Amino acid sequence: MEIKGAVALVTGGAQGLGFAIASHLSGLGATVVVADRNAEALAGLPEHLDPKQVDVTRPEEVKAAVAEIIARHGRLDILINNAGVIFSEPFVNIMNPDAMMHDYGRYRDSLIANLDSVFIVTSAVVEQMVRRRIKGAIVSISSISAQGNEGQTAYSAAKAGVNAMTVTWSKELGRWGIRCNAVAPGFVDTPSTRGALNESVLKHVQSSTPLRRLGKAREVAQAVAALIENDFMNGVVLNVNGGLTI
Amino acid sequence: MNKRLAAILAEVFGLRESQIHPDLTKADVGTWDSLKQMDLVMSLEREYDIALEIPDILRMVSVAGIIQMLKDKGVTLEVERAGLGN
Repeated sequence: MEIKGAVALVTGGAQGLGFAIASHLSGLGATVVVADRNAEALAGLPEHLDPKQVDVTRPEEVKAAVAEIIARHGRLDILINNAGVIFSEPFVNIMNPDAMMHDYGRYRDSLIANLDSVFIVTSAVVEQMVRRRIKGAIVSISSISAQGNEGQTAYSAAKAGVNAMTVTWSKELGRWGIRCNAVAPGFVDTPSTRGALNESVLKHVQSSTPLRRLGKAREVAQAVAALIENDFMNGVVLNVNGGLTI
Repeated sequence: MNKRLAAILAEVFGLRESQIHPDLTKADVGTWDSLKQMDLVMSLEREYDIALEIPDILRMVSVAGIIQMLKDKGVTLEVERAGLGN
């Protein structure tokens, strides 16, 4: 698919990795709508990015937003499922004998934010693509944690779910010419990564990575663009992690 | 029954061409689910160079319905006869 001239929706695109992806696609000539629940961050977006406030965990809100985007731009060719929240909690916390096990409420919250949201947004977008017979491209942001990462039961499960949905949808939607792929970043230097991991963990991650550094948001955006542009890539989970395995 | 159409339907639903006839409906074919419906749409669009919209797709719940839909799209379906005979 040619990115130039296409209309793209990037969820969670007002900051960090999502903003890098939105900016990269815009730089390649796409009209980019940035969906985010953070009104303040949306207000600070540059003019070439079209802001849309939406909570991607609310199906009716998302449906209305997608309809509005199509009404405004005439079509929607590309969806980037980037919105999510890094979440860490050990399955067993021996230091807290009164509530030793991973909290179920927080487990559910993480799955809603990182997995249900992908289902909700993709469902709304694909319905419009099918009805309009648009041969679209969907790229979901997964994570190296999908392989299973200690201290991240919920987040790892959610991202593994994203990978499974990506492959499933690639098989179901390929007949419509709609392609579904995912990018699984390793540890990328963004505010959310730095907020989730302390300095010693970051140092350990860098020393464990064959390239001996964190990834750059731009490098993830380049992988996203490659998956959009290559019309024979479908059902791929592309690792962008500097060679790190966990 | 048009041979080209019968061949498409047989391939999509995993049937023999001899099993395809106008009275056949979605209810008669166990493999005729929504995914196969999508495969059928793609096959018909490719074969007859037509574009099907959602209302067209919803009409395709029997072979007779498919034939009528194709005719409405301007597709000519000639019925090949086995032989002239006497």
